[in-house]
Amino acid sequence: MPGTHDIDQTPKADDGDGLDPREAARLLAQTEREARREFNLTPPWIATAMAAVILVAYGALWLSTRGQHPYQGPSLGVVGLVYAAVAVSIAVSVKVYRRATAGVSGPSVRQQQAEGVAIVVSFVLGSPVLQGALKHYGASDAIVYGVIPAAAPLIIVGTTTLGIAASKADWPQFGAALAVVIAGVVAAFVGPSGAWLAAGIGLFIAVLGYAAADALRRRRVPLRA
Amino acid sequence: MTADSLDPVIHAPARLRIVATLAALPDGASLSFTRLQDMLELTPGNLITHLRKLEDAGYLTSETSGNGRASRTSIALTRQGRAALDTYTNALRDLLDGL
Repeated sequence: MPGTHDIDQTPKADDGDGLDPREAARLLAQTEREARREFNLTPPWIATAMAAVILVAYGALWLSTRGQHPYQGPSLGVVGLVYAAVAVSIAVSVKVYRRATAGVSGPSVRQQQAEGVAIVVSFVLGSPVLQGALKHYGASDAIVYGVIPAAAPLIIVGTTTLGIAASKADWPQFGAALAVVIAGVVAAFVGPSGAWLAAGIGLFIAVLGYAAADALRRRRVPLRA
Repeated sequence: MTADSLDPVIHAPARLRIVATLAALPDGASLSFTRLQDMLELTPGNLITHLRKLEDAGYLTSETSGNGRASRTSIALTRQGRAALDTYTNALRDLLDGL
């Protein structure tokens, strides 16, 4: 094998003589499960943790703005908490991504990176641009700091992810993205404070639902010993 | 159907694990020699021998980039290798159904 000539090549290689078919089936199923877990970009524990963080962050935003007349937006403390949660989530996601893709190369990795860039760009630019434009044209604080930042990211990032999922025929991701878009649409019509609650519950359900569907899909093995 | 009907290139513990691990990657993706070795916990020499057998059968390809200590070998399952694993899995299923 090229590039490996300097490594000891006097192995104790095993062969298939005496390998029982039941043992082979067990080995195959176990190896597939382990490999899928190793290469998994969204392990169930991270999805569950993300869902909990989302619920706490959006819940705090809702509690912070509930009953405001006129609407003034979430307190600085809550905004800081949300930014901290987002920063931690990004850091953990990057670490998991690097671990899962270590040593993996090829067109599929480049495609995943491009998908990640598309989602990040839609998240970073989508809502702030709309908020800036609406503020510029005199929209109220309830719209600029309530409805839009709660609903727009879900609709924009959700539709971006919907397109990506459709192109890959990734139906669990498609379902989760559709749920996120629907949550964004609902959030747009329930008032500036209720928007945070609707967005949080919608995202929570979408992330947990995706984690469950993905775990079920990965648990399927071609045969069981 | 007997165990003799199973593809002998795949029907060995180490080679079965190599092929199943590479098949978990998306089509066209390759895995570095070191990551594969870490995942399977095989010695370098043992892994190389099994990779050679699989490569000789046309089930995988290997590509080396760089020189010396900086060289990196990437291994990928071919279409033929993926098809062979599918055939092996079906034959194994038939065999187990008959037991």
